[in-house]
Amino acid sequence: MIPGLGALTQDTLWCFSQLKGTVEIGATEADIISTVEFNHTGELLATGDKGGRVVIFQREQESKNQVHRRGEYNVYSTFQSHEPEFDYLKSLEIEEKINKIRWLPQQNAAYFLLSTNDKTVKLWKVSERDKRPEGYNLKDEEGRLRDPATITTLRVPVLRPMDLMVEATPRRVFANAHTYHINSISVNSDYETYMSADDLRINLWNFEITNQSFNIVDIKPANMEELTEVITAAEFHPHHCNTFVYSSSKGTIRLCDMRASALCDRHTKFFEEPEDPSNRSFFSEIISSISDVKFSHSGRCIMTRDYLTVKVWDLNMENRPVETYQVHDYLRSKLCSLYENDCIFDKFECVWNGSDSVIMTGSYNNFFRMFDRNTKRDVTLEASRENSKPRAILKPRKVCVGGKRRKDEISVDSLDFSKKILHTAWHPSENIIAVAATNNLYIFQDKVN
Amino acid sequence: MVGGLKRKHSDLEEEEEDEKWDWSPAGLRSYQQALLRISLDKVQRSLGPRAPSLRRHVLIHNTLQQLQAALCLTPAPALPPEPLFLGEEDFSLSATIGSILRELETSMDETEPPQNPAAPPSPQNEVLSQPDPVFLEALSSRYLGDSSLDDFFLDIDTSAVEKEPAVAPPEPPHNLFCAPGSWEWNELDHIMEIILGS
Repeated sequence: MIPGLGALTQDTLWCFSQLKGTVEIGATEADIISTVEFNHTGELLATGDKGGRVVIFQREQESKNQVHRRGEYNVYSTFQSHEPEFDYLKSLEIEEKINKIRWLPQQNAAYFLLSTNDKTVKLWKVSERDKRPEGYNLKDEEGRLRDPATITTLRVPVLRPMDLMVEATPRRVFANAHTYHINSISVNSDYETYMSADDLRINLWNFEITNQSFNIVDIKPANMEELTEVITAAEFHPHHCNTFVYSSSKGTIRLCDMRASALCDRHTKFFEEPEDPSNRSFFSEIISSISDVKFSHSGRCIMTRDYLTVKVWDLNMENRPVETYQVHDYLRSKLCSLYENDCIFDKFECVWNGSDSVIMTGSYNNFFRMFDRNTKRDVTLEASRENSKPRAILKPRKVCVGGKRRKDEISVDSLDFSKKILHTAWHPSENIIAVAATNNLYIFQDKVN
Repeated sequence: MVGGLKRKHSDLEEEEEDEKWDWSPAGLRSYQQALLRISLDKVQRSLGPRAPSLRRHVLIHNTLQQLQAALCLTPAPALPPEPLFLGEEDFSLSATIGSILRELETSMDETEPPQNPAAPPSPQNEVLSQPDPVFLEALSSRYLGDSSLDDFFLDIDTSAVEKEPAVAPPEPPHNLFCAPGSWEWNELDHIMEIILGS
């Protein structure tokens, strides 16, 4: 697939590919997917859930015989990454929910990923084992020790093929460095360090060292009563290993350069859009809170998601975004109800496609939205079981905001706010997307002609 | 929750249509008070077995402060149903928020130094200001479900309270403040006035 064909031209149609997850009846809260991430080649797709489990899917090799069936994702490995804990000193439960998964670039046969809950980051190694040593001298085939007196000859153990086994082992545990809840992890382009961010602090880690981290951002006030702003997301620049950004609950983004000082409390750049006075309300600050920030693959732009919009910022322009896309502006008149039922605090993520030409984010009613930056066209699609026939083309959806409702439109008051698409992922180079809808994972691909 | 948005408070239904600021003063006021009630409700509910979300807490706190400022600035309507509490509600509201944040800090802060020493030493030895015992009492009594006013009388030093006998205030509308901490503080004050006056 050539990057750039991600544009939403007339020819791009999205089709259902696969549906992973439990059936509705057996679903528990632990099955709710909390993060989705493709690895750097797109060969692997990882999900984390509220129960602390990680499931990794692997794309099968494309078969020349079945041209219409592009590589499907099948379960490759499942493991329990985090367990629930209890902090006895503070009488607080620590959730096992996986907040984020980030892959490391592949450097040998094994795969490495970072997974984190609210307090602890872990480095997992996922490797294959397809051979088994046989012919030990001191053990028999079942592993029982042999009586040395019965051994009359010596032999060299040999490796024999066995059924493929994928095992995940925790290689590092980075614990006890965060007082507040970790919301982001980001692998540095030097592949030697990564950062973890909580509500008030950001720490820099070396992958080899687990008992120490550098604190690079600290916005905790001396008096907690003066606290008015928290860190909501953070990410390293894709190419410059000294640069990172972090977003805040007040709708600001700060870009920092680690070469400037050890503690990056003073930013190099500060991105903030002046408030529109005509839209001012009691909820202005809450809806301006940034829930996700992502660098473009090129490293020239950042994308931010707040409650109602997605914005694209040019790193060279701090006073306003270069592009603003309305995700679900029809909710603006419903903010009071959304505040009451807590939906206004939902944290939606946003993603770039491989060529940075299309951006995607989720909404309610299992809707998700795509915006083409070049053609300025946008589309609303739905992840639903009704559209789950193989290669079924997804029909664009439309929300009716008032007046006469057309036959296939849905009115704002009929939207199901319990069905929210918070987590999505886009394959690094192809038009394959993974959309998490509560406890189900939908995989969509563009139509193969 | 399926389908449309749940609306618990009937006074919000009209306001839902247009949430701009050019309402009648009475309508705006009741809207602000409803938001205040919802916000205090949220603060109360957010302290549970799990460490609360600091982001959510800060956002609600900031919204509460805006509401507080708006309620002070908006002139009271001609026939006020509950005007006598408006002066005190500022003090009690901010104090309640303050004490909740302090309690939050106590529960979430590093009581032991983290086992990962930060390489550049960050100021670890903040001194936690002692939370106001009266408010913590109010908060804890709420959590334990025991909101008997008698406990307040036992613990409060009343010798400093010397006020002119005042007319018994009208019963504060119970739907104004869900957080008994702040309501009971006002109630206590007025009850003390009555007792000392008689």
